[in-house]
Amino acid sequence: MDSLLQQLERFSEVLAVSRTTHVSTWDAATVRRALQWARYLRHVHRRFGRHARIRKALERRLQNQWKQEGGSGPAPALGLTNFQALGHCDLLLSLRLLANRALGDAAFHYLLQELFPGPGVPGAEEGTLQGSLALLARRRAAVHMLRSSAYRENPVLQEDSLMKTQAELLLERLQEVGEAHAEGPGRFLSRLWEHLPHNNFLKVTAAALLLPPSSPRHQEEESELGNPRRAGERGRELLHWLLGKSEVIVAFCRNLPAGLLTSVAGRHPEVSRVYLGLLTDWGRHLHYDLQKGIWIGTESQDVPWEELYGRFQSLCQAPPPLKDEVLTTLKSCKAQDGDFEVPGLSIWTDLLLALESGA
Amino acid sequence: MAQDSVGLSSDYQFWIQKLSVWKQASTLETQQDTCLYLPQFQEFLRQMYEALKEMDSNTVIERFPTIGQLLAKACRNPFILAYDESQKILIWCLCCLINKDPQNSGESQLNSWTRGLLSHILAAFRSDIKEVDLFTQGLGYAPADYYPGLLKNMVLSLVSELRENHLNGFNTQSRMAPERVRSLSRVCVPLVTLPDFEPLVEALLTYHGQEPQEVLWPEFFGAVNEAFLLKKICLPVSAVLCLWLRHLPSLEKAVLHLFEKLVSSERNCLRRIECFMKDSLLPEAACHPAIFRVVDEMFRYALLETEGAPEVLAAMQVFTRCFVEALEKENQQPKFALKTYFPYASPSLVMVLLQRPKDIPQGLWHRPLKRISEMLKEIVEDETQGSSGGPFENWFLLAHFGGWADIAAEQLLTSVGDAEPPEALLWLLAFSSSPGDGPQQRAQTMVEVKAVLSHLGRLLRSPTLSAGNLLAAAEESREGDPRPPACQQLTRRLLLNFLLWAPGGRAMARDVITLMARTDEIMHEIVGFLDQTLYRWDHLGVDAPGSRKLARELLAELRGQA
Repeated sequence: MDSLLQQLERFSEVLAVSRTTHVSTWDAATVRRALQWARYLRHVHRRFGRHARIRKALERRLQNQWKQEGGSGPAPALGLTNFQALGHCDLLLSLRLLANRALGDAAFHYLLQELFPGPGVPGAEEGTLQGSLALLARRRAAVHMLRSSAYRENPVLQEDSLMKTQAELLLERLQEVGEAHAEGPGRFLSRLWEHLPHNNFLKVTAAALLLPPSSPRHQEEESELGNPRRAGERGRELLHWLLGKSEVIVAFCRNLPAGLLTSVAGRHPEVSRVYLGLLTDWGRHLHYDLQKGIWIGTESQDVPWEELYGRFQSLCQAPPPLKDEVLTTLKSCKAQDGDFEVPGLSIWTDLLLALESGA
Repeated sequence: MAQDSVGLSSDYQFWIQKLSVWKQASTLETQQDTCLYLPQFQEFLRQMYEALKEMDSNTVIERFPTIGQLLAKACRNPFILAYDESQKILIWCLCCLINKDPQNSGESQLNSWTRGLLSHILAAFRSDIKEVDLFTQGLGYAPADYYPGLLKNMVLSLVSELRENHLNGFNTQSRMAPERVRSLSRVCVPLVTLPDFEPLVEALLTYHGQEPQEVLWPEFFGAVNEAFLLKKICLPVSAVLCLWLRHLPSLEKAVLHLFEKLVSSERNCLRRIECFMKDSLLPEAACHPAIFRVVDEMFRYALLETEGAPEVLAAMQVFTRCFVEALEKENQQPKFALKTYFPYASPSLVMVLLQRPKDIPQGLWHRPLKRISEMLKEIVEDETQGSSGGPFENWFLLAHFGGWADIAAEQLLTSVGDAEPPEALLWLLAFSSSPGDGPQQRAQTMVEVKAVLSHLGRLLRSPTLSAGNLLAAAEESREGDPRPPACQQLTRRLLLNFLLWAPGGRAMARDVITLMARTDEIMHEIVGFLDQTLYRWDHLGVDAPGSRKLARELLAELRGQA
């Protein structure tokens, strides 16, 4: 067992190195050994995939890397990231080497001979590296063709396939990180927030929070291992982190489209509370301009009336209890302001009036 | 080899030109044209590879100076990369360009360029979804990890959009625009054999838009049909049914493909034919009358062309049997009246023919036989009736359910020597073996058959029963003139039945057959008879262990000899 774990770690290092310029020192023999190693570990994956104890041990060793704090750059792991990756580690290694310009000509030539032996025994293709690489190329072409011809972004963001895929990946990774270390997910997410474009990240977060409880793939794995992972757990760490970071939740509520936020708020009451709090806060920043007859803000980052109204309108179209909660909040704010019926005195009055007439 | 390379050079020029026109296949015309040539281009690539792999990198450049251009252009065309094995063969060709040990900057540059192109194939179209790439990298995933999942999600999303159209019949907003559906069908052409695309192909096939004309691209149907016939894609019957209903050429190809298989595979094995038949999904699809009519028409044509070849007849009978089985599987009321399947036949005749002998006790089989015979006689010999088709049409109808004629022959033989053979059965046999005869000739045939039967009956009780006698009884006509060939076939059949059923006959079986089988054709006929008989007995559950054993043994022996 120990030797297996050691080999796992060492191969992980090799995999990490395969992406760097260090490969310029590799010759054909090195490439051969690396590929053999990968093949061996793939065999290990196949053999011990259903063996809960061994699999657990291997997973744990791989998860260790997530425990490391700090680390520069958004991609902490260059090596093997999880047990699943073992299943196609030879593919990962091959792709990295193929793309690495630092690999010498002789070594590269050898690599090609190994990976693409040419037309051989038909039917045996599926299991081979040659087959997998060709399939990958084919699938990428397929994605491209779909995107450029018939595909269009789903207006319901959480059902858009690109969003869904990213969301699924995020939750999967969070689960692994979480198993390695309790504090893991939070730190991991913070690191992502620092390094990735915020807009996409926020959308993916929203989509992740709206994913159905448990994807079929996970269910399959769960039943295989006899390891009940509670369905609701998946988004919990994400939610926890989101609500804990004021900078993020504010950006979340401010920048995402109203409809999307309504869906998230409807699904997660904790979010609806924070969201409503922020909305009321933003509302209080506006004052009534008597001359123009509209509510305006003083600073550039103030949320304009139209947007505020739009968000409230979307919330009021949600099913109860969210809808009721929103109306209750608005009414109580209105009452706090003096319960005026006349427009222009309290923004809450005006909002309620506008919502009633608009609805 | 020299000739090959000359052919290759001229093809080369043709393809370089084509690729230059196609570029990235971003317009409708270039996409359509690319799709038409995908199989041929792949074949060309294979030939190129065979030529290139014998050369080293420098020789390649000498021989094909513009090879780089050709390969680069091919790599930029997503339709080519998406098709079948083309991406793999392109990679092989590129591998031939790599120099293990470049001696000068030129060779180094070539290496560098080739590596770039290889990278492009395997890591292509990156810029397309930059945010996704960044995000997944941040998570520590490689494209190899998530591309299968992404493709699956995209396909599912498109499938649900297509199916939504069914539910939102008149809701124009959520309906997928016809142009998008068409474009989607175009994109699918190179990808029908990719397993991830199966749900999408199925959804497209079963998609019914609001437009009166066909919205899917015709080449799409062709590509799906090809893939289906070569078993490169798995589709449910409902999808295949839609394919064949919407695209007649595909249906015709499917039937021809079946015919080819039947001809090339082991003939005279009905069990295997039944397997092929069911596998092809044609009997199930034929529950839809439009499809049945087309298939039937092709059988009719084949029969006419081959002048009633027994193999075609047998195949048609198996098809009909499978078809009837499929019809009965649709538990509820049959959706279409029988008349839609057999529009030229008398409905009551069809009803009787469709009866399953299995459902009737063996002792009562003579009743439906008599009915069939009488009805046919009335239709065929009554010249004033023109509506139910001539003799050929009715014979063709009867041929679908050939089992009845076989049963008639059997019935005559099992009761040989007892009573007078029923006229109805004699008529049926005579008609089925030569439908073209006039009433007089037929009556003559019936008399001949009667004579043979009574002769056989006498021999049965005679002590001088021998193989030679039996053969003589069957082959000699009353007047000593040679009988017409169809009649000879008929008497041979009667004799064979006799050998299987009459206890005295069984003992002589081998000897008689040896004497009978004077030509290959006759041997063939005997093997066919035995195979068909066993097949029929299996289906009807006929209990005749002695006859069955004999038939099986004979069949094995004769097949071994052939």
